[in-house]
Amino acid sequence: MIRKELVAASAEPMILSLLAQGESYGYAIIQEVKERSGGRLQWTDGMLYPVLHRMENKGWIKSRWGESETGRKRKYYSLKKDGKAAMAKHHEQWSLVHSVLAGLQKEQYV
Amino acid sequence: MFDLETSIADWRKQMLAAGIKSPVPLEELESHLREEVVRQMKSGLSKQQAFEAAVQQIGLAKVLRKEFKKVERTLMKKIMIILLGIFGILIGPGLILPALAKHRDLDVWNNDIVMPLVAGIIILLAGVGTAIYGIRRSRA
Repeated sequence: MIRKELVAASAEPMILSLLAQGESYGYAIIQEVKERSGGRLQWTDGMLYPVLHRMENKGWIKSRWGESETGRKRKYYSLKKDGKAAMAKHHEQWSLVHSVLAGLQKEQYV
Repeated sequence: MFDLETSIADWRKQMLAAGIKSPVPLEELESHLREEVVRQMKSGLSKQQAFEAAVQQIGLAKVLRKEFKKVERTLMKKIMIILLGIFGILIGPGLILPALAKHRDLDVWNNDIVMPLVAGIIILLAGVGTAIYGIRRSRA
């Protein structure tokens, strides 16, 4: 299981990147992240929503109420222009962290 | 006998009592809870087990409330900063323009004209700065 600090830090870039693929909603976002991480990246489900609301306040994403297949109300989120820019920034920073770590790791085996 | 709708209604009451607001975010959380119940049932749990697992998965109302409160507080702070900026932008010219008009009429620069003029310029610049800071902060 991935440490909770790392889970928290990666929440925004994960959500932005998922929404870059198209509109989605809280439950689907969580399931997608679980699936892609083989269940190792797990959020307490409810904690996703304050993150989504914070991102909406920042103007990164927008939301609308729609309906699920069963006719129940469901809130859909989609990426805004500022969100795309924020995602690019996140990707750049995570890539840097990754490349530094990968470089250091490689040196250990030399 | 376990009744899902009664249990969800009770869960809603607990959430409301803990300070989770309706309709937002409670409706969104309920919608999530229902989807998780369905998924858990599909994986073989009974209705009651599925409900209990979904409630646990969603998290404690107290903890969620704390997180939502943080979001609200941050938003309020940003709004206050922007309003303070707008206030400065409105008050500044309110001092500058009458001072300039007085100078035009009397054609002198005395303390009664210069003081409000300088104060107005400072307040206006502070207002513009604060508003820009507030807007930039809200996007950071």
